[in-house]
Amino acid sequence: MKKKQYGMTPGRSFGNGVMSVVLNLIMLLFSASCIFPLVWMFYSSLKEKRQFNADIIGLPKNPTLNNYIRILTNPDYHMGESLMNSIRTTLVSVFFIVLFGFILGYFLSRIRFAGNKLIWVMLLMGMLIPVHSLLVPIYVVFNGMGVNDKWFTLMIPYIAFGLPIAVFLIQSFIQEIPTALEEAASIDGCSFSGTLFKIIMPICRPVMVTVAVIQTFSCWNEFSFALVLIKNVRLQTVPLAVKQFSGQFGSDYPKIMTALLITMAPIIIMYFCFSKQIIKGMVAGAVKG
Amino acid sequence: MLSKKPKATTTFGYLIVPVALYTFAVFIPLLVAVYYSFFEWKGGPNKTFIGLENYATLLHDTVFWQSFGHNLYLVLLCVIGQVGIAFIFVMVISTRFVKLKGIHRTLGFFPSTISAVAIGYIWMMIYDSRRGILNWFLEAIGQGDKTQVWLNNPKLVMTLVAIPLIWQYIGYYMLILLSATSAIDKEIIESAELDGANAVQRAIHVVLPMVKSTVAVCIVLCVSGNMKAFDNIFVMTEGGPGNASMVMAMYGYKISFAQQNMGYGSAISVGIFVLGMLVVGGMQLIPKLFAKKEA
Repeated sequence: MKKKQYGMTPGRSFGNGVMSVVLNLIMLLFSASCIFPLVWMFYSSLKEKRQFNADIIGLPKNPTLNNYIRILTNPDYHMGESLMNSIRTTLVSVFFIVLFGFILGYFLSRIRFAGNKLIWVMLLMGMLIPVHSLLVPIYVVFNGMGVNDKWFTLMIPYIAFGLPIAVFLIQSFIQEIPTALEEAASIDGCSFSGTLFKIIMPICRPVMVTVAVIQTFSCWNEFSFALVLIKNVRLQTVPLAVKQFSGQFGSDYPKIMTALLITMAPIIIMYFCFSKQIIKGMVAGAVKG
Repeated sequence: MLSKKPKATTTFGYLIVPVALYTFAVFIPLLVAVYYSFFEWKGGPNKTFIGLENYATLLHDTVFWQSFGHNLYLVLLCVIGQVGIAFIFVMVISTRFVKLKGIHRTLGFFPSTISAVAIGYIWMMIYDSRRGILNWFLEAIGQGDKTQVWLNNPKLVMTLVAIPLIWQYIGYYMLILLSATSAIDKEIIESAELDGANAVQRAIHVVLPMVKSTVAVCIVLCVSGNMKAFDNIFVMTEGGPGNASMVMAMYGYKISFAQQNMGYGSAISVGIFVLGMLVVGGMQLIPKLFAKKEA
């Protein structure tokens, strides 16, 4: 009732109107700034270099797909290979992060064994370690053992760095599942592994999806470890490909934008198709991690 | 904990691979870094034991400490910029005036899903002196004399590389904070409003205390995230001009790979490790301090 009375006062409603416009404007400007680079890059990628340099902000007068054709068909750019490398690295890494995260999460929350605490502390330390202090050392170790510059090289650090958060999320989820479930399964004659994969794993699906979402983005976007561990252009992931392009293309901005858009495409498509679930997963991961 | 345990060999079989892999990628490199930090080593077959000399150099290395300072500056800007602005936006978006909330969430969060490399290139094109949007904009509003080669300005460069980071993560923290504020009972805010608290008072005295543990989480994430700033700086400036935008990870990379000084690079890595642990570990205490006050 009281609110309605406020609404009827003319001064108040005028103030509300101004407030409404200002607040909406602030949020609209912010949202526009978030999507603007993408839109700008997209229509600029349809321009030729000369047209872009003459007018950096205008819409393309005669849109062309030449930049896309040049980048995707020129074998010197290794674009197809880079995309394949990124897809393979990301898929394999995410698969093992989720699998290992599930196994570790289960054992840490359910099984009392020597070393349970130790593994827990190791993972906790892994969360705290500033990851870039490992940049040079990991190169030294990998180089010394001859495992750098291989198709599987990047999966090792990606899986390792993804594990702590995966384990913490999954184990806190498993702790909510009553142990009676496993006891009943074992009375029914279900083996330990059978219980683990056929009964517990399906229950953990939501949290495993959350982990997979978070890790897909971080594996796809990871740059610094790829930079030091991969020298062979045929094994490079997309962030490295973008770096290589920018060196070659110099000031040909439409071409760099095209390359950026191609490498971002899988992420953009995934994000705008599943934004609700992705945001939910990322936020849950951040808060609980 | 389960009462009936699997066989010890089963447990071992399940755990050995992930634990070995994790140790190999995280702990072995750390130990190796400590080992090589005692050597003069250029990456080749020859290395000479020099004891603590690398660490003595590190203590007096002005560039390294300058980089550390830049990391802290970045952290400060980003805590204020990312978490601070995100909180203001949360208050704005939660008012009943703002429409299109779903769109603001989706678009606001979007930049945080893009790689720091791509963000770096995008902003480099915005800052570019001849074809950049920033200078174009200044010309367009008649401030043409303010245009400059932005990333060559040593005084501004740290702030300029921080802006993309801030912009990228506002939406991320906004969504995290929104998940916390949406759990607050609407009646509490409404009754505060009826008691005559204005929007700012409500934000500071009603909402903030109720989400302070989430704010603390955001600050910890923000600090640890910015202590490891590397990708976008590598792309935008490589630490330049001079060392004006050098951060610790960038410096370690340069010494180790551009100058092939692996021994000293290892010592820098140990330095990054220690300083990073101190800063991030110190930040971890914040939620506990908050928790104590609550009790």
